[in-house]
Amino acid sequence: MKPFAYAKVATADEAAGLLKQRNTRVIAGGTDLLGLMKERLVEPDRLVDLSGISQLRGISATRETFRVGALTTLAELAAHQATPPIVKEALADAATPQLRNMATVGGNLVQRNRCWYFRSAEHRCWLKGGPRCLAIDGDSRYHAIFGEGECRQVTPSDLVPALIALDATVVMRTDEGEDSLPLAQLYVAPTARHRREHNVGDDDLIVAVRIGGDALHRRGAYLKFMERATWQFAIASVAVSAGVVDGRAQDVRIVAGGVANVPWRVKAAEDLLTGERIDDARALAVAERFVRDARPLRDNAYKVTVLRELVRRGVLRLRD
Amino acid sequence: MAEYRGPDAVPIRLEINGEIRVLHAEPRRTLLDALRFDLGLTGAKKVCDRGDCGACTVLLDGHAVYACLALAVACEGKKIETIEGGSPEVRSLEAAFLADDAYQCGYCTPGQIMALAGLLRREPRPNEEHVRAAVAGNLCRCGAYPNIVKAGVAAGGNGARRR
Amino acid sequence: MAGRTRVVKTRSEFEGRVSEELALVQGRDLRAWPADAELREVGRERPRVDGVQRVSGRARYNSDLVLPGMLHARVLRSPHPHARVTRIETKRAQSLPGVRAIVHRFNEADHFAEEVRFVGDHVAAVAAESEAVADDALRLIDVEYDVLPFVVDLEDAMKDRSRAKRDDAQSRGDVRKGFKDADAVVDVTYRTSTALHNCLEPHGCVAAWDGDRLTLYESTQALFDVRSGVAEKLKLDVGDVRVLCDFMGGGFGSKLGDGHYTVLAAVLARRTGRPVRLFLDRHEENLAAGNRSATVQRIRAGGTKDGRITALEHLAWSGTGTEDGWVAGATGPSSTVYDVPNVRTEQYLVLTDTGPFCAFRAPGYVEGTFALESAIDELAERLGVDPLAMRKKCYARRDPQGDRPFSLKRLDQCYARGAELIGWSKRKVGGTPARTSHLRRGLGMATQFWGSAGGPPAYATVHLNVDGTAVVRSGTQDIGSGTRTALAQIAAEELGLELGKIRVASGDTDAPYTPASGGSWTTPSTGPAVRLAAADARRQLFEVAAGLMEVRPTEIRFSNGHLVAGRGGRKITVRDVLERFKNYTVIGTGARHPNPSDLRLGSFGAQFADVEVDTRTGFVRVVKIVAVHQVGRVVNPRNARSQVEGGVLQGLGFALLEGRVLDLPSGHVLNANLEDYHLPTVKDAPDIVVEFIPDPDARSNNLGGIGLGEPPIIPTAGAIANAIANACGARVRTLPITPPRLLEALRR
Repeated sequence: MKPFAYAKVATADEAAGLLKQRNTRVIAGGTDLLGLMKERLVEPDRLVDLSGISQLRGISATRETFRVGALTTLAELAAHQATPPIVKEALADAATPQLRNMATVGGNLVQRNRCWYFRSAEHRCWLKGGPRCLAIDGDSRYHAIFGEGECRQVTPSDLVPALIALDATVVMRTDEGEDSLPLAQLYVAPTARHRREHNVGDDDLIVAVRIGGDALHRRGAYLKFMERATWQFAIASVAVSAGVVDGRAQDVRIVAGGVANVPWRVKAAEDLLTGERIDDARALAVAERFVRDARPLRDNAYKVTVLRELVRRGVLRLRD
Repeated sequence: MAEYRGPDAVPIRLEINGEIRVLHAEPRRTLLDALRFDLGLTGAKKVCDRGDCGACTVLLDGHAVYACLALAVACEGKKIETIEGGSPEVRSLEAAFLADDAYQCGYCTPGQIMALAGLLRREPRPNEEHVRAAVAGNLCRCGAYPNIVKAGVAAGGNGARRR
Repeated sequence: MAGRTRVVKTRSEFEGRVSEELALVQGRDLRAWPADAELREVGRERPRVDGVQRVSGRARYNSDLVLPGMLHARVLRSPHPHARVTRIETKRAQSLPGVRAIVHRFNEADHFAEEVRFVGDHVAAVAAESEAVADDALRLIDVEYDVLPFVVDLEDAMKDRSRAKRDDAQSRGDVRKGFKDADAVVDVTYRTSTALHNCLEPHGCVAAWDGDRLTLYESTQALFDVRSGVAEKLKLDVGDVRVLCDFMGGGFGSKLGDGHYTVLAAVLARRTGRPVRLFLDRHEENLAAGNRSATVQRIRAGGTKDGRITALEHLAWSGTGTEDGWVAGATGPSSTVYDVPNVRTEQYLVLTDTGPFCAFRAPGYVEGTFALESAIDELAERLGVDPLAMRKKCYARRDPQGDRPFSLKRLDQCYARGAELIGWSKRKVGGTPARTSHLRRGLGMATQFWGSAGGPPAYATVHLNVDGTAVVRSGTQDIGSGTRTALAQIAAEELGLELGKIRVASGDTDAPYTPASGGSWTTPSTGPAVRLAAADARRQLFEVAAGLMEVRPTEIRFSNGHLVAGRGGRKITVRDVLERFKNYTVIGTGARHPNPSDLRLGSFGAQFADVEVDTRTGFVRVVKIVAVHQVGRVVNPRNARSQVEGGVLQGLGFALLEGRVLDLPSGHVLNANLEDYHLPTVKDAPDIVVEFIPDPDARSNNLGGIGLGEPPIIPTAGAIANAIANACGARVRTLPITPPRLLEALRR
């Protein structure tokens, strides 16, 4: 790590003030940022530690809304009784107990991708300003099977697909106060002018994530595929949620992680299930539709097979 | 208003195993390096330095964390427990690890024990599933896992009853 | 002394290499304890004698060591797989506060090459007041490289004749005739990936000079080889180098001598006049600390409908990186395991511009056994024969390659017991259904042979103190296998003392010489020397006691911790004997005797795997492994079971998870970390059932038992691969058997 100055703040206002200086970064759990700093992929001059801001920590829940503060750890979120089951399921296989004790919800939303070209200081990949994506001619076994852009990195989070499947919104702090937007809108495929996996700026503060209304009462499931039994970023994952009335699905959300630059949804696949009875044939049809437009690279066609199966199993879980 | 400290070495005051220790280090010093190089507490091991192995596990306010992914300066005001602290949980785990041969080279062992100490705080009578989940973030290259699972159960209430 | 000293010729096998050398021994060896001997310590389950330190975090590993005034070193490594270093500018780095010395090829020509030959090869090293400062300094060193052409992929390199050379060839009978006699022949190619040791304690040392004498605190499996290696490179007498290693955190073959880090630490320490600590980080571990080489293996096997194998041909190419000295051959199992009349093997060493190969727990045999055992199953399937029955049909009663009798072979019992424990009789061709329609269960098995059995030279002394305690002194290191405990148990047995009265002072080249802890050598080499030393000490004690008790020494025996003279005679303790002589030390000495030359030594075993395959995703869950091994007398069954479980888990990793991934355009290792190089986790561990065949191997050495470090990893991958093929009908011939590979095989 490059040397840096460090300040711990007690309020979001204090943090916002300090973040106006250039090359200043916020740190909360630190589990992603310190890894990036050790590889010298990120070299801030100043770190602002948010972990002392107590207003940004904790969970409040009613029948109508569930709100988790950005500094709440993944372990706290997983353990809370009001946390939606699909989120708990996603967190059960997320990283490790130690990382869940350290990592925060806010940090999880904006963590950088795990592409081995991106993470290696020795490779100047497209996302880091290089001329092209190195996975395309290199080893692409863990890379994207959907999407058009040059960069083939994939979304690493287990939590994010689960939250998007519940139509979560993210609350951001702005100079005027608080602003909220659908969580899914944070994620954008990197472009030549914006080589970043999300559009949260270095001086933006995430305040909370909110899940509201009907979404809280939908059925859901989270399925994750790894090569070893635990402790791997998803090769593919699927969060499925739907309201099931008289055996028919409505408000269907199928969100895949680990397969594209952004959490991946296929509207046509969701539509295939909407209003329908959930049975084996329907689940298979939905799964087939979900992966129909996949365009794997040289080494990752297997991810299409795996994803199809996860979607199929996820849809069937809605019956239970 | 918060003030910046560093980037040069600053005094850092830590509460470790119930004692206040003060060291002088740059803000970039990780808790792990501070323990091992500044404070002579070498039970926590540096294996990956990236949160990929668990050998540096310590308790921070009672929760198992990777000391390699924490800055020492950020741990001021928190209670740090290392294997050297010898808490009651650590003691019973040590005895169980010894009895069940739950280690070979021993390099990952302090991390395994601290991960389980964190578990025992919350779940004093763990079953095998609890133990597996608690050490899922601790690699052992010698492959002592079967005995670690046995020892983890034995160290808790369920094991004590069985013995 | 225990008799006249004489020179003996000894033939021994270490990591698949057979060598003859001279050793000094004294007197006559002891006979192994008979099978029905009632032993108090040997063969008993005892907690490790150094266990308290290991579980409490108090064990001091050399990577934990902080010496007064110590500097920290870091190494600058090549980003190119092949290049010439033409210029190094260190001015900016030198002026960084805290930097104390920088070495590179222009100021330490002996220790840096002009050409770097793999990504991660060392180019310069910095010693500074902290690791962080040393790391900062590396970034300020400017190096100019002439980049040269390179090949990193094994199969690309195989096409280049200048890179491949034949290392070994064996044959017996006439394979052409054997294939003609066969009812079916399989001709298949297997591949294994480069595996990285990833011992948790990194490679490295702390080097400190005291005048012209160098002390190295090194994490090593081979104290004496570090001593000789460094002495040679720094042009010192071996007596001026002392190597110490009290506790070490895993090696698995990768720490069998000095490394560039050892020499660089010593050089930096000499330049600065201060102790220097140089330990690799995890990234460097995965680039520059050795590996199990990738292989391509072509096997042709022919057999008859009655289950006999008539011919076997095994050609292997091992990508050894830049290591062109030796290769651990993968063809060994094909010529040594089964009674096949016609065999031909050829082993090729293939150079690539990647990190050098080194020994890794049963090197060669792990890779070769996977290929051989897979091929036998494929042949058995073709012939419609039960794979276990086929192996029994070609059971070798004598060493098939050297035509000597085995000192002990109970492989038939391993087969029988293993089959019973796994439920082999329920195995069905095509596997069995599992909980849901997409899951299939299957059983598979594989045979293990390992010819390494220890040998001389190995020496020990045993000191008896006046208080009735004893110190075993022997150079050897305990790499986590329980060496100290085994040696203490052996000494306690022979001395008639309780285990708690024995202290083992080891891990020091100033103690008597012992061989490296590799090749499953430690206990069967050093153990017999310790037993002899203890017996020698006991003899002297009895001589003293005989005078006091007024009997002949031969009339004294041990009983319940007492010396007893005659039947129902006087009882006294060791302490009673020695206490009257203030500060007297009884010193017993022992030297390992040679192995019998007319016998083939070795260990046998069989492992059986029960797996569950998800045919829709290619995920494999190993449900259970049964491991039955024969190593003769087991000194500490609990430690031995742990050793087997560990071997099985490393074998499981090799079978399903582990493989170095290279970026072919750049030659970089993409998964040089523990995030993307997947070691098995606790949740990957199956139920492991371990048993040992109890018969002692009475003619192997005076313990009646040989080493167990490597055998358990040898058959695991083959057993798992065969179980997967049985479960779902898909044969994956490339390790690791990852979901993409299994899905592809399922599609075919």
